[in-house]
Amino acid sequence: MADRRRAAVGDTITIQKPGLDQLLQTVEAAGYVPVGPQVKDSAIIYDRLESADHLPQGYSTEQAPGRFRLVRSGHARFFDFIPGAASWKQYLFPPCLELFSMRKDEEGWHNGGTSAQPNAYAFVGVRPCELAAIQAQDKVFLRADGTDATYQAHRARAFILAVNCLHPAGTCFCATMGTGPRTESGFDLCLTELDEHFLVTIGSALGRDMVLDLPAEAASAFLLGTAERALEHAAAQTRCDIDPSTCADALLKNLEHPRWDEIAKRCLSCGNCTLACPTCFCWDISDHNSLSGNDTRRERTWDSCFNPTFSYQAGGNTRPTIRSRYRQWLSHKFGSWQQQFGSLGCVGCGRCITWCPAGIDTRVEVAALQKEAKR
Amino acid sequence: MTLEAALAQTEAGTERSRETRWAEVVSVQQEVTDVATLGLRFIDPSMQRAYSFRPGQFNMLYLPGLGEAAISISSDCNDRSLVSHTVRFVGNVTRGLSRLRPGDQVGVRGPFGRSWPLEQLEGKDLFIACGGIGLPPLRPAISHIVRHREKYGKVTLLYGARTPAELMFTQEYEQWREAGIEVEVTVDRADADWPGRVGVVPMWFYQFRIDAQKTAVLTCGPEIMIRFVIFEALARRVAPESIFVSLERNMKCGQGSCGHCQIGPYFICRDGPVFQFSALEPFFNVEEF
Amino acid sequence: MTELNENIAELQQIPWFQELKPHHVRKLASITQLRTVKAGEVLFREGDKEDFVYIVLDGRVALDMYVPHRGKVRFYTADRWEIFGWSSVTPTVRQRTAGATAVIDSRVARIDAVEMRDACEADHELGYQVMRRLANVVAGRLLVTRLQLLDMFAHPEAKHGG
Repeated sequence: MADRRRAAVGDTITIQKPGLDQLLQTVEAAGYVPVGPQVKDSAIIYDRLESADHLPQGYSTEQAPGRFRLVRSGHARFFDFIPGAASWKQYLFPPCLELFSMRKDEEGWHNGGTSAQPNAYAFVGVRPCELAAIQAQDKVFLRADGTDATYQAHRARAFILAVNCLHPAGTCFCATMGTGPRTESGFDLCLTELDEHFLVTIGSALGRDMVLDLPAEAASAFLLGTAERALEHAAAQTRCDIDPSTCADALLKNLEHPRWDEIAKRCLSCGNCTLACPTCFCWDISDHNSLSGNDTRRERTWDSCFNPTFSYQAGGNTRPTIRSRYRQWLSHKFGSWQQQFGSLGCVGCGRCITWCPAGIDTRVEVAALQKEAKR
Repeated sequence: MTLEAALAQTEAGTERSRETRWAEVVSVQQEVTDVATLGLRFIDPSMQRAYSFRPGQFNMLYLPGLGEAAISISSDCNDRSLVSHTVRFVGNVTRGLSRLRPGDQVGVRGPFGRSWPLEQLEGKDLFIACGGIGLPPLRPAISHIVRHREKYGKVTLLYGARTPAELMFTQEYEQWREAGIEVEVTVDRADADWPGRVGVVPMWFYQFRIDAQKTAVLTCGPEIMIRFVIFEALARRVAPESIFVSLERNMKCGQGSCGHCQIGPYFICRDGPVFQFSALEPFFNVEEF
Repeated sequence: MTELNENIAELQQIPWFQELKPHHVRKLASITQLRTVKAGEVLFREGDKEDFVYIVLDGRVALDMYVPHRGKVRFYTADRWEIFGWSSVTPTVRQRTAGATAVIDSRVARIDAVEMRDACEADHELGYQVMRRLANVVAGRLLVTRLQLLDMFAHPEAKHGG
């Protein structure tokens, strides 16, 4: 081993491929539950990661509007694929969460038992767009005037092992949205995968501690250069015609544009886009009772603005048409979100495009609305 | 902001995320058809003493097993003995509230929302135009104005309902008049023994002399009515910055978190329900937005 | 003061008449009568054949229509300076489509519509001024009627058009 100098935050070191599994074991031994991408049912999901062997090694993905295919890459690399519909929000903002339970006796209603302790997750393989999505949801769920306790507990404890993208898929547009294909901060460790090595950028003291005992070397100029060229190449593949600096204005000033009618003819209002989108945060509350009426449980579940009754109240629905609901989603994501949270809600991950059964391509729609708005 | 900073500020945020507290129903006052006012008092007396709200805010009332509903607070802010909620019975939760009797318990979360900016409007003439169930959210504002009458110029209340039987809080109009508020009432239709006006609220602007520079308009009620009140106010050159509207949308969390009540960039429960019309202007008249 | 001068003085208070040329005001004043009515007094009934346009100077006049099984339904009240019976100015309507009852003691100005129509025919400048103002009145009433029709205070779960 050439260089035994203790690595510091900000450094990039090189490890051999078997080092990844060793790293995962170190992280798990430190008390984190590793979760990460795995192949299941011809797709990529996020689940408990037992070891590096369970990662989708040797796979890549072909993605297009309404299309996702897992294919063999012909290489032995671990992270050639681009993630599927699942995103890390399922851990920080669980799809179904019991808020509280209550029980009634002669004296009235009493609070039920406490919920389980939150896990300390290690998110393995967080893509730059996904990290940007987590940071977007931080602004939603961690606020001075109201914090989500579950989100905060998980987020504070999460270990982030990010991975830069060298092989973007057909629906990625992170470079245009300013979120990828590489990430510079917000992670504990960040991997860039080359053929024989991982470059590991240390993002935090915690990350540094995890690589202390790994056989590693300082990253050579050659490997850094190879990674740099590959990332530039990836960036060139992830551009589109959206102009993020002006799309908010263009959309919000053209809420009656005929394009919305045109999209509405294709949209099924199925809500896939909102389920797959890593920044969508709408939720619903439901109360569940036992037959006796003496036990009640309140649950929070993911909701979608495409849900026909999302805006229903007291005998009326303010968004009864698909047109109005699609317009709400797009003008929120690429428009109002900016005023609410200081940045756009889209991170360019492409999930809404890949997983839309009607093949609606948000890149095309936003660009079209921008272009026609300028006229 | 870094994650560390965000997490640091949220320690305080978690405390403020508003737990549900228990209150007892003290009074149930039937108002008009399908509307009643519930007077609530927190079971813990120290909580009752500590509870305060501003005119225009609302609480989330919770019935275990049924759910929550956002209800405007309609009592006087200075009345520390009770917190009153005027409820219209339209859905499952509000129908559950309609079955409450004195002694029953209900969960209360709040108060939430932005209030009528009464301090900033001191010195102005106030034109309060409301209709139907839009009067209850303005009632605490009227109580405040009555108490601080000398701080305001001319104050006019223009209130409309469907028929004379559906006018709310009629027993208080005389008090308000005695306090120096011009109270004018109109109905959509009536029969031969109604001595008052028949017509709609927005059109009665014609009858009043408004000094546009000095006037602020406060409005609440069915959105169609609000739309035309604003239209008439703007036609009389009242500035959009001087028109205040209270809106209503499907609310679930009351805290600007669940996304249901959004109109454009605003969460009605957190950025409203009281809005300055100049902020709402780009979105208010867009159909189905 | 002569009746004519009294009329002129009265009419000039009304926004409707402001900005009319003095000789036009004089002409209209000459075909106007001022009347006082007591609370409950009926000014005209549905179906009456009369040709007058009324302006409320003080008080309140209710317009109503008789609906079998419901009785007289008041659908509008005219307050100070509001016009009612304006359909007399249009050529085709020949009878009252609603009744008018004073709600409280009131004073009204009653203009002879036949004479006014003749005056408008003879002097198109006057005709234009009258019709222009009338168009505003009708537009306002139409809006009120539409808002009443939409029944905006109805219970949200009530069936529409049911």
